[in-house]
Amino acid sequence: MSCGKYQSQFNDYLDGDLSLRKREKLQYHLKECLGCYRKWSSLHKTQEILQQLPTLDPPEHLSAVVMARLKNRRLHRPLWFSGNLPRWLPLGVGATLLFLISVGLWQVMPSQYPWQSLFPGSRKNVVTSTRPAEPSQETFKIREGDSDSSAPVMVLRVKDFSRADQELQSMLRSFTRPPLPEKTSSSTPHARSARLIQLQVSGQRLPHLLRELHKIGHLDQSQVERQKLTNPGQQQQISIRIVVVSNGSDVEIRQLREGK
Amino acid sequence: MGTESLAHHSSSVKRQEEQLLVDRCRRGDRESFAQLMRLHEKQIYNFTYRMLGSEGEAEDLTQDIFIAAFRGIRSFRGEAKFSTWLYRIALNQARNRIKYLSRRNFFARQRRRADYGTNTVSETPEGLPDSAPTPEQWTMTKDLATQVQKCLDQIPLRARQILILRDIQGFSYDELSEMLSLKSGTVKSRLHRARAALRECLSEKLE
Repeated sequence: MSCGKYQSQFNDYLDGDLSLRKREKLQYHLKECLGCYRKWSSLHKTQEILQQLPTLDPPEHLSAVVMARLKNRRLHRPLWFSGNLPRWLPLGVGATLLFLISVGLWQVMPSQYPWQSLFPGSRKNVVTSTRPAEPSQETFKIREGDSDSSAPVMVLRVKDFSRADQELQSMLRSFTRPPLPEKTSSSTPHARSARLIQLQVSGQRLPHLLRELHKIGHLDQSQVERQKLTNPGQQQQISIRIVVVSNGSDVEIRQLREGK
Repeated sequence: MGTESLAHHSSSVKRQEEQLLVDRCRRGDRESFAQLMRLHEKQIYNFTYRMLGSEGEAEDLTQDIFIAAFRGIRSFRGEAKFSTWLYRIALNQARNRIKYLSRRNFFARQRRRADYGTNTVSETPEGLPDSAPTPEQWTMTKDLATQVQKCLDQIPLRARQILILRDIQGFSYDELSEMLSLKSGTVKSRLHRARAALRECLSEKLE
């Protein structure tokens, strides 16, 4: 056996954990090998010194001081604070709190991450688009009462209703479905499908309305453009009359205008 | 009745008495706690002294350990020995105190004071011969005790605590593994490394 293997038995020998046979072999080796003997000797003496270290007497007042300190304290810690709780508990509580705070912030703050689409119901009140918010459809108002003859006229020749906003679609359809008055409709075979709508729309909302109307079909907006040029940057509400022609031609529209 | 069975009987009686005191403590009886403290204060005080190397700090730490023990005694269920449970508290408190003192350079200042020889008398126990040891003899003297304490202060905390508990205070491997929440094999290997580190340090200082 090599010296290294004998040296690895030193601690077991010190603790008295070595079998009789191994002990005898080690003792024999220590008589033969000076290097191992020196190492063993210093280890053995180190342990002896530790065992011989004097024992100190605690100060006499120690227990009196502790009892005095205890008098000024609460009798016991609550059980949950007893020190027997697992070490990971504070970490777990902290992680849970952090998670809850993150979820709370995620619900409240707008964000742009694509994975948010995985949770469509979770952000009902939040705008997820990066585009500026578009004014609501409620800025379109159908004007009640007498029509304003000074309001600009737009002519919309409808090709496909389905390409517009749902709300705009239904509004336009509701005005084209019922037949026009007998007087107007009798002038031309196609006039039954034409209708005049007077809308009030805010200046901000106007570009959106025009965009949507362009989707539906051909739009003659020259009068509206003129109005916009004379009042650049208008913020107030303006009235627009739209002539909706669902199956008409330029002639019919002209007739409609003249007949008005 | 043989000597062994007598010893066993006496230790079992001692344990029963200790358990009685613990039960009274759990009900808030301070006098029982004072009795328990008197039973263990010497061991704990010596443990803290060897861990910190300063009598003043050892006294403070011992006080804190017993106060922590009193406040947490309701969590002691009697599965382990009371001394094992108490030592677990002592180990935790000692680790925290050592961290605290290290941040404030306490040990560095203590070493400097010891190197200049201003601290050797107050920090070493009384009643030991003053003559310097020869490496061959290595018999216990006041100076050797100081050198051993210096070496204990220098070795890593984990090695120090295991060396104190096993080689100075004489706890068994089973008790050590319970106190340190380690497997017996791990305790052994750590102890072997700790002994080697201390032997090296002492050899440097004394030869």
